[in-house]
Amino acid sequence: MSVDRRFVLKSMVLGGAAGVVLSRSVPVLAGVPPSHSGIRPALALVGSGAAEAAFLQGARAAAGTELPVQQMDRGLDCMLDFEHQLRAGRPMQVIGLLDDAAATLVLDLARSAGARVHWLGQHTAEAGSTRHRLLNADLAEGCARQLSRHLHACGAGFTLNEERQGSVAPARQLAGPARSGAGSVQWAAGIGSLLATLGTRPTMMPRVSVQGTLLSGSFVSFSIEV
Amino acid sequence: MSEQMSGVLPRGVTQKKFNAAVEKFRALLGEGNVLLKAEQLIPYNKIMMSVENAAHAPSAVLTATTVEQVQGIVKICNQYRIPIWTISTGRNFGYGTAAPVQRGQVILDLKKMNRIIKIDPEMCYALVEPGVTFQQLYDYIEENKLPLMLSFSAPSAIAGPLGNTMDRGVGYTPYGEHFMMQCGMEVVLANGDVYRTGMGGVKGSNTWQIFKWGYGPTLDGMFTQANYGITTKMGFWLMPRPPVFKPFEVIFENEADIVEIVDILRPLRMAQIIPNSVVIANILWEAGSAHLRRRDYTTEPGHTPDPILEKMQKDSGMGAWNLYAALYGTQEQVDVNWKIITDAFRKHGKGRIVTQEEAGHKQPFKYRAELMSGVPNLQEFGLYNWRGGGGSMWFAPVSEARGSECEKQALLAKRILHKYGLDYVAEFIVAPRDMHHVIDVLYDRTSEEETKRADACFNELLDEFEKEGYAVYRVNTRFQERVARSYGPVKRDVEHAIKRALDPNNILAPGRSGIDLDTYRTRRSAKSTASDES
Repeated sequence: MSVDRRFVLKSMVLGGAAGVVLSRSVPVLAGVPPSHSGIRPALALVGSGAAEAAFLQGARAAAGTELPVQQMDRGLDCMLDFEHQLRAGRPMQVIGLLDDAAATLVLDLARSAGARVHWLGQHTAEAGSTRHRLLNADLAEGCARQLSRHLHACGAGFTLNEERQGSVAPARQLAGPARSGAGSVQWAAGIGSLLATLGTRPTMMPRVSVQGTLLSGSFVSFSIEV
Repeated sequence: MSEQMSGVLPRGVTQKKFNAAVEKFRALLGEGNVLLKAEQLIPYNKIMMSVENAAHAPSAVLTATTVEQVQGIVKICNQYRIPIWTISTGRNFGYGTAAPVQRGQVILDLKKMNRIIKIDPEMCYALVEPGVTFQQLYDYIEENKLPLMLSFSAPSAIAGPLGNTMDRGVGYTPYGEHFMMQCGMEVVLANGDVYRTGMGGVKGSNTWQIFKWGYGPTLDGMFTQANYGITTKMGFWLMPRPPVFKPFEVIFENEADIVEIVDILRPLRMAQIIPNSVVIANILWEAGSAHLRRRDYTTEPGHTPDPILEKMQKDSGMGAWNLYAALYGTQEQVDVNWKIITDAFRKHGKGRIVTQEEAGHKQPFKYRAELMSGVPNLQEFGLYNWRGGGGSMWFAPVSEARGSECEKQALLAKRILHKYGLDYVAEFIVAPRDMHHVIDVLYDRTSEEETKRADACFNELLDEFEKEGYAVYRVNTRFQERVARSYGPVKRDVEHAIKRALDPNNILAPGRSGIDLDTYRTRRSAKSTASDES
C-alpha cells in the first residue's frame, strides 16, 4: 500500500477519537472558561492513557473544543502518516503528549520536515510528585513559571528544570513541596493548557478531576510548528 | 548586513566573524537553509546523551541540496574557521542523534540531498545521496517490483544507508555488515575537491558500484567514523531476494546458556549454514521490544531483580536469551540447512525452536523476522519506554564469538550496571568471528541524579572493559574522545597527521572519534613539555 493510500485511510482527523481517549479516565473540568484569544493548534497528538486524556482536557479548555486529535502509536504506518502531514506544505501547529518512544519518533520526523519546536518537555509522574525538564524557545517565555505556579497551587510536589535554547544563562530550577496527593494529577492538564495557548496572553490553567487515577509514567510534551 | 546575536558560538569564533559567515551561507544557500532561531535549533539538540543540552548545542544549522553547495560551505568554513558537524538523517539514537560533538558547531544537515540516483536490479546495487532513508528505498523497490532485499538497522524506516554505513552500523540479513557491502563513495574534502573512491575516478567507468578496490591505496574506510570529508554519494550492494525465507527463534531458559549458544552457533555462522547477522537478545531487550514496561512489574528503584525477570519469562514465554536467525535460498538449500541447524540445537538439548508458523504475529518474533527480510518497522523503539524517562546510550563492545568470552562480558556489564541501579538490556549481533555486544543503557532523563548515574556507569563500563582488553566499535557522541584513547597513541597520531594534511583548518567535525587538531595538539604539546621538564 502506498503512503498516499495509507494517508487517506488513516489521517481522517479523529474528532471522535478524543471521546475514545477520554472515556478511559473521564476527567471533569473544574469550571474554566475557554479562551479564544490564542493561536489555535491545528492538531493534538496523544497516546491512549489517562495523562494524555488530562492533557487533552487542558488543551481543549484553553483552546476551545474544536481541537482535532490524532491518537498516536509507535507503528510505522502511523508515523508515516504523520510525516506525510508534516510534509504536505500546509502551515500547522501541533501539540502533544506522548510516551518516550512515540515522542522520540515524532520529534525526529518533525526535524526532518523542517519544523520549529517551541517547547520540548520531558515529564515523569510518580506517586505524589512530578519531575519536568523543559527546553524552550522565546514563544514559551514565562511558561515554566506559569506551570510552576499551577503545580504549586494544586499542591503537587514537583521539580522543574528549564533550559532556554541558545541561552548562556544556567538552567532555571523550580521546585515545590507536596501539600496534597491529589494535586499530582494536574500536571498534564496544565501542560495541555499552556501548549494550546503558547504565545498568547496567560490564561487561567484548568484543573481536572480524574477519579481514582494517578497520572504516573514518563511522557514528552511538545509544540511543533510547520 | 543583519546582525545575528547568538548565545552559542563556535569555539574561537567571534560574533562578528560568525555573522559574516552567516551572511555568506545565506548568499550561497538562501535564507531558508540557514537556521539560527532557537525554535529551529531545538530539534537538533541532543536527546540521548547523559549531559545537559547546552554542552552539545549547535550555533546554527545549514541545509544543502547539491554537491556544489557543500563545496561552497567548506570554502566559507575555511575562511571563517567555522567547524561543521555533518548529519545525513541524524537518526543513530543511542549513538548520539543529530547533536554535534562540541557546543557551537554548525550542523550541516544533508536531509535534502535525498535522491536515489540509481538502483541496478541486475547487478544488485544502489547509489544514493545522504538523505535517502531505508523507507524511501523500500518503497522504490516495492513500487518497481524489484527482486531485491534491503539490510538495515533497527530504526530501519527512518534511518538511512549512508549514515549507518559511514558509522559502520550493522543490520540483520546476510548483508548485515554494511560497510563490507559498501562500494564506491563520493567525498567533498575540506579544500572543496570532490574525491570518488574505488573506480569512481576513472572517466566513463561503469564499475564504480561493482569493484571496490580500484587501484593503489583503498581509502573508503578512512572516511567512516571520521572527519576527513563529507560523503555526498555512496554505493552499496543489495541482496537478491531469495525464493525462500525461513526465520526462526531459539529460546533458552537460563542466563548461563549463552556459553553453549555461541559455541553451537559459531561453526554454523562460519560455514554460512546460517548466513545472516544473528541476534541473541536477553530477556529485557525482548521485553522492551515487546512494549512491556518495568513499572508493570516493579516500582522499586534500582535494577530489576532476577526473580522479576524469571516471572517475566514465565508470563511471556520469552527466554533468558532469545536467538533469531534465518535461512535464505531455494527450498532445497533451506531444507538442507534447516536439518543441520535443528540437529545441532536438538543435540544440545536445551533450546526451544520456534518457527514463523508457530510464532504467528507474536512480537518480538514478527519484527525480528521483518528486519531479517528487509521489511522496515519501528517496533524496537519500545525499549525507550521500558524504564521510563527515555534516556538511552548504546554501549557496544566487540567480543570474540566464543561462548566463554560472551559470558564474561555479560557478567561484567551486568555487575557494573547493577552497581549503578540500571538494567542489563543487551543483545549480541553475531558475525562468524566477532560479536557486537550491544547494551542499551536506559535511564530517566527527567532525573538529574539518574542521568549523572548513567553517565558514571557508562564511563565505568568503558574503563572496566578496557582493563580486560575490550573496546567498543562505535559510541555515543558524548564519549568519542574517551574511546579514542582506548585505541592507543600511535593510532591517534596517525589520525591527526591525516587530519592536518586533509583539513588543516580543522573545520570538519572536530572531535569526531576524538580527532581534533586544536585539543590534540594542545594535549600532546603539554605532554611533551612535561616530559622535557622531567
